Amino acid sequence: MSCERQIERIQELVDGTLGAIRRSELEQHLARCPECRALKDDLERIRDAAAALPVMPPPDGAWLQIAGRLRQEGRVRDLAGASGGGVRPYVWLAIAASLVLAAGLSIAVLVRSTSGPASGSGDSASSGNAKGTATVEAVQNEVDAAQEQFEKAITKMDDLRKGNMTALDPQTSDVIEKNLGIIDRAIAENRAAVKAQPASVAARETLFEALRQKVSLLQDTISLINEMRKGNNAAAAQLVNKS
Amino acid sequence: MSTSKETDLALVARCREGDLGAFEELYRVHAGRLYSLAFRMLGNPADAEDQLQEIFLSAHRKLESYRGDAALGTWLYRLAMNQILDYVRSRAARTGQLTDGLDDASVLADAWGHRLADRAIDRIDLERALAELPEGCRAAFVLHDVDGLEHKEIAQMLGIAEGTSKSQVHKARLKLRGLLGRG
Repeated sequence: MSCERQIERIQELVDGTLGAIRRSELEQHLARCPECRALKDDLERIRDAAAALPVMPPPDGAWLQIAGRLRQEGRVRDLAGASGGGVRPYVWLAIAASLVLAAGLSIAVLVRSTSGPASGSGDSASSGNAKGTATVEAVQNEVDAAQEQFEKAITKMDDLRKGNMTALDPQTSDVIEKNLGIIDRAIAENRAAVKAQPASVAARETLFEALRQKVSLLQDTISLINEMRKGNNAAAAQLVNKS
Repeated sequence: MSTSKETDLALVARCREGDLGAFEELYRVHAGRLYSLAFRMLGNPADAEDQLQEIFLSAHRKLESYRGDAALGTWLYRLAMNQILDYVRSRAARTGQLTDGLDDASVLADAWGHRLADRAIDRIDLERALAELPEGCRAAFVLHDVDGLEHKEIAQMLGIAEGTSKSQVHKARLKLRGLLGRG
């Protein structure tokens, strides 16, 4: 193969390390040799594709394994309470409780005001009649209002939670995040179902059940954070076992 | 590395005090790059995950020796590379595999016989082809063409001559042309 002796030069050209004189000789060769030209092009493409390979995300569980082993070996401590920002535990609980109470009241109002007529007419939305349309709209408005209250409460609680998750060990924190993700997906699906069938009592109830679950999980999380901050491991363990 | 020396030293100081949150911070910044290195050097995700854990456990033990002479990312990268190479050697000893074995003549014949298709190189195909390279030239190729290290640094890391590093990278490119050109 007469071109074999050019290969090393082609590689150096691809590396950008070929001197000017040898480069000029090689370029003359490349101009009349399609095989070597194709080789040079391919090696450049391989070099460029390799340089563009992305950083791969590490597997999900890798950190938990590492943290677990560090804890087992007694080489680390979780700094619970190190970044409390001076807010006393009972304040967190009081805020959480009031938010849950507000959200709970809105459900009660909604259930009282909508379940009667809606269950009377079944899940079939009456179409083409003005009264039926008005009822559907009224129900939708109430659902929207209650949902809005729920979501405001959830947002506030979630902000509190996010700002204080460092008090929890990463494993517990990950479990909570995963569960919140599952509930969020359920909320999204149920919201779509309510939108598709505004008069469906079942759809509304399932949506509010998902919202209630989220409030409950957030409330437990905030309580857990409080107990961890107080150093009350027994109470924290009870909460973890409960959830 | 994007972190400054002061930031690196402050983070390391917190890790040395046993602050798990600080070590998690360090992990979140560097784990992706080190996992990618392990995955590409070892050719499979299970070994790469195991080695990623060993790298960070070893890093935690050795943080006492970190003085900030190099960026924390560079220090971790070298430590990772040593860890991975130790593993590669012990795996090779266990399985009796050769760490190199690219015969020049067959590589050349393969490379000449297979041109790349006239389209962009698919990332997955390239990762797969990389896993088929013999370990010696795969290491040099990953360090040089993927991670952008100089042959001098690679030679130090791998304990080989600079010229050997260069020739390993060149062989790897030719072999990859053969592998990718088969479609």
